[in-house]
Amino acid sequence: MSANAHVLAAEDGDGGLFTPGGPGFAPPTTDIFFPPPIVEFGPFAISKYTVLLALTVVVVLGFWFATTSKMKLVPSRWQSVAEMGYLFIRDQVARPTIGKQGDRYVPLLITLFFMILVMNLWGVVPLVGQLPVTANTAVPIVLALIVYVFWNVVGIRKQGGWRYFRDILFMPGVPWPFYIILTPIEVISTLIVRPVTHAVRLFANMFAGHLLLATFAAAGFYMFNPGAPDALLGAVSVVFSGFAFLGFFAFTLLEIVIMSLQAFVFVLLTAVYIGGAVEPAH
Amino acid sequence: MGLLAAEENHILMPHTSELVFGLIAFAIILFAFWTKILPRVTTTLDERADAIEGGIERAKAAEAEARETLQQYQAQLAEIRAERNAEIEKAKQQGAAIIAEMREQAQVEARKIVENAHAQIEAERQQAVARLRVEIGTLSTELAERIVGEALSDDAAQSRVIDRFLDELESQDRAGSQAEAR
Repeated sequence: MSANAHVLAAEDGDGGLFTPGGPGFAPPTTDIFFPPPIVEFGPFAISKYTVLLALTVVVVLGFWFATTSKMKLVPSRWQSVAEMGYLFIRDQVARPTIGKQGDRYVPLLITLFFMILVMNLWGVVPLVGQLPVTANTAVPIVLALIVYVFWNVVGIRKQGGWRYFRDILFMPGVPWPFYIILTPIEVISTLIVRPVTHAVRLFANMFAGHLLLATFAAAGFYMFNPGAPDALLGAVSVVFSGFAFLGFFAFTLLEIVIMSLQAFVFVLLTAVYIGGAVEPAH
Repeated sequence: MGLLAAEENHILMPHTSELVFGLIAFAIILFAFWTKILPRVTTTLDERADAIEGGIERAKAAEAEARETLQQYQAQLAEIRAERNAEIEKAKQQGAAIIAEMREQAQVEARKIVENAHAQIEAERQQAVARLRVEIGTLSTELAERIVGEALSDDAAQSRVIDRFLDELESQDRAGSQAEAR
């Protein structure tokens, strides 16, 4: 790898750290989030994102069909894992936030959780992925929109359209003059900011995390320059690059945590929104 | 797409392709979960809960049955014990009755023996009295013959005399005893 990187650097003619007249460090730009389209037809393009989306479907459904195709009363090891996944969403997310009716929304929540989890984790899968699908704004936007439409429809169906929007616009139990301030705030926060933050929170975390990892990796490659004119500086560059790669691995572990956490947060918020729509406010 | 062309590589601008494909991917996964996967999982979990509850039920039933059997055994044991006690009581009573009967029989027997003995003694006494009377008569006759020197050959007359003599004696004797009784 070291020889390769060196050769590559030499071939590109840009040298590296401590090479006089070198190009300096060019950090990765947002271009890394725009892989070239593989196929284009009309307004659609098959890109790396599309491939990873398809792989996400395959992985999620493959896992769940494999683990639940021959379910037994005494579960096998993998069946237990699947059951734990289901019970986690049902008992830790759906029931505490939505209550007794929570079980009805488990399919939506479990779909969101495992889909987002796998899409996030593509960011740390070497070779195949190395690009979290959720770092593309379109995917979190689509999911947040689905959730937004869903909890509003649930609210209207459960409480009736009139009462549902009255409770959002005019929070019950507040003296009427406060509505002058409160109603615009409620409209903005509930109907506009809520879906936007829902999508942006996921997107921004994945985007920033991926950029961070890319920067550490790029810096590691840039600083690795044992063929520098001064041999001592060459050795120093190797040490520096070692630190950069150490940081890369540490942040990769951190990213895995953040990826799981963001999938959980997205689903938890979804459940909270549905719970608010199912039960009349106060 | 032409509208977005200028902003094509802006990071916040969603691409139509990913919007649509994301929606499709979501729909596929949701459909599979809703119609296939989760029904299996919930069915299995419910069945397991049933099986566990059934096991508990069965254990309870077995325990109840065991307790019932134990009670039955204890009841039988108590019954048998009571029966045995009754038997023993009965045997005791029977024994006592037998002893009492035996004693009575023995007493009856003893009384009979005593009576027999009395009767025999009485008969022997009578016999002795009869013989004595005859012998005394004979002896007295002989004595009288010798004293009188006269042979009283007529037996009939002889016994008449003796009987009269003895009757007189007896009547004197009876009169004496009657006087005594008075």
